[in-house]
Amino acid sequence: MDFGVLSENAGLLGAGLVVTLEISLLSIVVASVLGVLIATLRAAPSRTLRTIGNTYVEVLRNIPLLVHVFFLFFALPSIGIKLEAFTCGVLALGVYSSAFVGEAIRSGIAAVPTGQLEAGLASGMSYATVMRLVILPQAIAKTIPPLGNALLNLIKNSSIVSTISVLDVLGTANLIGARTFAYVPMLVGAAICYLIVTLPTAFGIHVLEKRLAR
Amino acid sequence: MSDLGWLFNTPTLTFLFFGLVTTLEIAAWSIAISFVLGVLLALGRLSRYAHVRWPCTAYIEGMRALPVLLVIFFSFFALPKLIGTQLDPFAAGVIAMSAFTAALVAEIVRAGIQAVPLGLREAAHSQGLSAMQTLRLITLPIAVRQMMPALIAQFVTLLKDTSLTAVIGILELTRRGQIVFSQPPFQPIPVFALIALVYFSVNFCLAAAGRRLEMRSI
Repeated sequence: MDFGVLSENAGLLGAGLVVTLEISLLSIVVASVLGVLIATLRAAPSRTLRTIGNTYVEVLRNIPLLVHVFFLFFALPSIGIKLEAFTCGVLALGVYSSAFVGEAIRSGIAAVPTGQLEAGLASGMSYATVMRLVILPQAIAKTIPPLGNALLNLIKNSSIVSTISVLDVLGTANLIGARTFAYVPMLVGAAICYLIVTLPTAFGIHVLEKRLAR
Repeated sequence: MSDLGWLFNTPTLTFLFFGLVTTLEIAAWSIAISFVLGVLLALGRLSRYAHVRWPCTAYIEGMRALPVLLVIFFSFFALPKLIGTQLDPFAAGVIAMSAFTAALVAEIVRAGIQAVPLGLREAAHSQGLSAMQTLRLITLPIAVRQMMPALIAQFVTLLKDTSLTAVIGILELTRRGQIVFSQPPFQPIPVFALIALVYFSVNFCLAAAGRRLEMRSI
């Protein structure tokens, strides 16, 4: 197996890695904003709002990401909305992941016993103070593992944009693989690129988890 | 878009239905294989022998850090070159989905096994059960109940991820949907609405069945 192809095309693969990181970061922003909104809806006192939040999460996370991506890329143009492939990828990934982010945040808040809120209020603290000093610090610690998981999945899932011709790491590796028939070295190279990003991220989340758990 | 006769006719719906069958076939094969592999990997990772523990740990951690789409491409384009035979897309898809999901199942199984109190295993051992018997009769049955919710969630993910095998040409649900809307009258939205509904229903049922199973086993 000739791995020379890999060193010849390392620059292109690097450019692909930049695209992967761009898509991931932009999607994280979309997913976080929507996710917080969804978590708030699902914790709302109004039953209607809760139902809307729950339905959103159930529907989005039970439909494959590929269907989301294809919908934005192939279906929206038929009603006159033409988005660039890159934008489709970011929106689909962000919206899909927001269901998981929302679920992570909600479960974190729900994991703190309500008695603590009541105890805080009873001892004369305001709602905002109890939230800031008692509930949120614990909720955040409990949110880190599922949130970290959602983040890692998002980065890995960003590879799906290669199916709509975006040249991210996987897209680039596939393109060069198809041209040179050197699929093995190119896909191994792509795998290394993903490991470079995901393994340290996973380690960072693990460390954060340990520190917050104390 | 008012008249949907082009979509809701017997040939088209049959065509899509067999896509669902393929989707379920890939999922069923992959669930079965990944479960067996996952249990073996979990036991390997918990092994007291370092030369078993390390490769299993490396496989699990490495696989978990990769996108499943990459594994699918690798299985279809690169694996045949390494093993020297052709793989049809279905086999490549099942191999990729199984190899990937096995790593995730292994972590769930490991957590399940570790949640079984040590005293139970010691008690079984002191009753004269061999290590294999203890595992088969005591540890695994209890562990399986513990890990049911996580396992079901993982298999729902697997079912969704089978849609990715569309990219290597397997005629599963998503790919067939794509074929349907690529023909006159070229209306993708109703097709997407239909296949999204199908995925949603199947996954929702799978999750509901999982919840029932969970209730019953407690």
